[in-house]
Amino acid sequence: MRDVARYGMVIDLDRCTGCRGCMESCKIENNTPQGSYWMYVFRFEEGEFPGTKVRFLPRPCQHCDNAPCVKVCPVGARYKREDGLVATDWERCIGCRYCEVACPYGVNTFNWGHPEEHYYGDWNAEDVAPEVRGTVPAWDNPSLDLPYGPEQRHIAGGGHLKGVVDKCTFCVQRVEHDLDPACVQNCPVRALVFGDLDDPESEVSKILQRRPSFRLLEEAGTEPRVHYVGGAPPSAETKQIEPAKAEV
Amino acid sequence: MAQQAQPLPYGVGRTSRTWVAWAVLLAALAIAGWYGWSREITEGMIVTGLRNIGPMGGATWGLDVAFVVYWVGVSFAGITVAALIRLANLTALKPIARMAEALTVIALVLAAFAVMYDLGQPFRGIVNLFHYARPQSPFFGTFTLVISGYLFASLVYLYLDGRADAAELAKVPSRLQWFHRLWAAGYRGTPAERARHDRTAFWLAIAIVPLLVTAHSTLGFVFGLQVGRPGWYSALQAPAFVLLAGVSGVGMLIAIAAVVRRTVPGAELPERVFHWLGTALLILLLAYLYFMVVEILTNLYTGAERERDVTRELLFGDFAPIYWASVACFVVSAALLILRFVRRTAALPLLVAAGVLVNLGAIGKRYLIVVPSQTHGTLLPYGTGSYAPTWVEYIEVIGLFALGALLLALFAKVFPILPLNRATEGGDAA
Repeated sequence: MRDVARYGMVIDLDRCTGCRGCMESCKIENNTPQGSYWMYVFRFEEGEFPGTKVRFLPRPCQHCDNAPCVKVCPVGARYKREDGLVATDWERCIGCRYCEVACPYGVNTFNWGHPEEHYYGDWNAEDVAPEVRGTVPAWDNPSLDLPYGPEQRHIAGGGHLKGVVDKCTFCVQRVEHDLDPACVQNCPVRALVFGDLDDPESEVSKILQRRPSFRLLEEAGTEPRVHYVGGAPPSAETKQIEPAKAEV
Repeated sequence: MAQQAQPLPYGVGRTSRTWVAWAVLLAALAIAGWYGWSREITEGMIVTGLRNIGPMGGATWGLDVAFVVYWVGVSFAGITVAALIRLANLTALKPIARMAEALTVIALVLAAFAVMYDLGQPFRGIVNLFHYARPQSPFFGTFTLVISGYLFASLVYLYLDGRADAAELAKVPSRLQWFHRLWAAGYRGTPAERARHDRTAFWLAIAIVPLLVTAHSTLGFVFGLQVGRPGWYSALQAPAFVLLAGVSGVGMLIAIAAVVRRTVPGAELPERVFHWLGTALLILLLAYLYFMVVEILTNLYTGAERERDVTRELLFGDFAPIYWASVACFVVSAALLILRFVRRTAALPLLVAAGVLVNLGAIGKRYLIVVPSQTHGTLLPYGTGSYAPTWVEYIEVIGLFALGALLLALFAKVFPILPLNRATEGGDAA
């Protein structure tokens, strides 16, 4: 029998409404610094007026099986886990950003400055405290500092220190406790599904068996573990509208 | 010891007021460059104009990486020329062997600094790059073959090649005698020693030639192996890198030789040397121009959509001014180098102008290799990005040029920048 799950994600573009709730939940869960979007939702416009069409495309890290970023990392800070996750050891990363230029999907984010602790507001402030009702704030989330996997490396969360590269971890701190990643959990229309691609009984496998699917930039040979159903990959005519404000 | 002995040759050990003024200026600029780096270290790389590729619409590699590539390229020519002088027995070029070796060592030191400027965690980098080295990464070659192996081989070569001269200088009492004694390390110039030395240097030169092709190719592979970067992914990157390295390095060597000829007392550099270098530069330059045409044609003719976008951006878009300025630099220098064969007079200023121009062109090309693919070549439709260096990056680059010039000036004051002519030197020491 299989001893380890091989995770992947299925994104249903027919369902996605482009609300960008996944981007928000990702930032809160992983404490990513200002301007960093590990999950990014494209809002596209296609066609000529009046025949224009608006489409959405959520883009997490593709957790490629043949990941260019893993190949180029000079110190092995970026590595492929047995369960399919592509992880970044922020304790080892030297900040050369080679992974960032190697990635065809543009998913890597660098910590340009000192990550701000209270970027999401001071949860102890008088007017905020009653609202959050003692919830653990993102920057105090103890599970982001723990080591994960059989390798016991520090790969969870973002914004730990300046000068290192972060990216989507598939929320390893949740996945290792059999929880869905934050983006999946928070999607109001269940456009995102996470699960074991090797298990034919899992929801992701069943969707892929039932519906035609594609992966982004398949011609690059990166073997992504993120599959899309419904809709179509962006074409040469696809133009982004309303890009998310990503500035530091 | 009490009486002042014969002065050391080529102004070694003596500084003029002009030299001191230049040294102070260069040191100040070098320190300014380090100040820029200190801002990067304390505040993070937010002080640079670099930003994330994709949603942030930036370039994550910029001026620093362009100059890593440029400096490694410049280092290429020095030791190549020095090794070829020995292997092919190019006696006419022997006077520039020493400065060529020094150029290689200094350019590699500058490249190492530029790498450090580019790292988000530079001090972690020094440890981790060696501790966790991965040969699968094209960077591995940069750190092992180039910055460690190549630098080490060049230093050993410089040391061995200078040992006989050091032994000569060590006979002359001066404040630097200890240094020359240390360098000579007991060398006395007996026939047996000389033969052993020549043999070692010969084999080292043979070993250096393949090392420099492989080492410099790895720098091209840093870009050429990336399937996700239109404008980078090309089998031409590695050989083109080696060629442009030769162009910029030989050009720099011409410029340095001209400065040495003007400023070093007693320096005799026959025009023949410059002509030889000029011809070498012309051949390399024409080959590189050919590569450029091949590359543009390949990318425009049927090239994939994004390849064409990046190429169009180079030719007609945001990067056109830099692109055409670089092309102009190359073409004008090629014209100057050819003009030499037509009009024989006043060739030296033309040669120096060509040497400087190809370096400006090379800097432009290095920048154009690094940046456009990131801002204009994203495979997903993020839209067009932009990158403009900040004062921190500019001052770092200026600081490196100043540091290089300062190191070369200092070297020329502690050791003869031109090899001693042994036939006459024997009498001097007596």
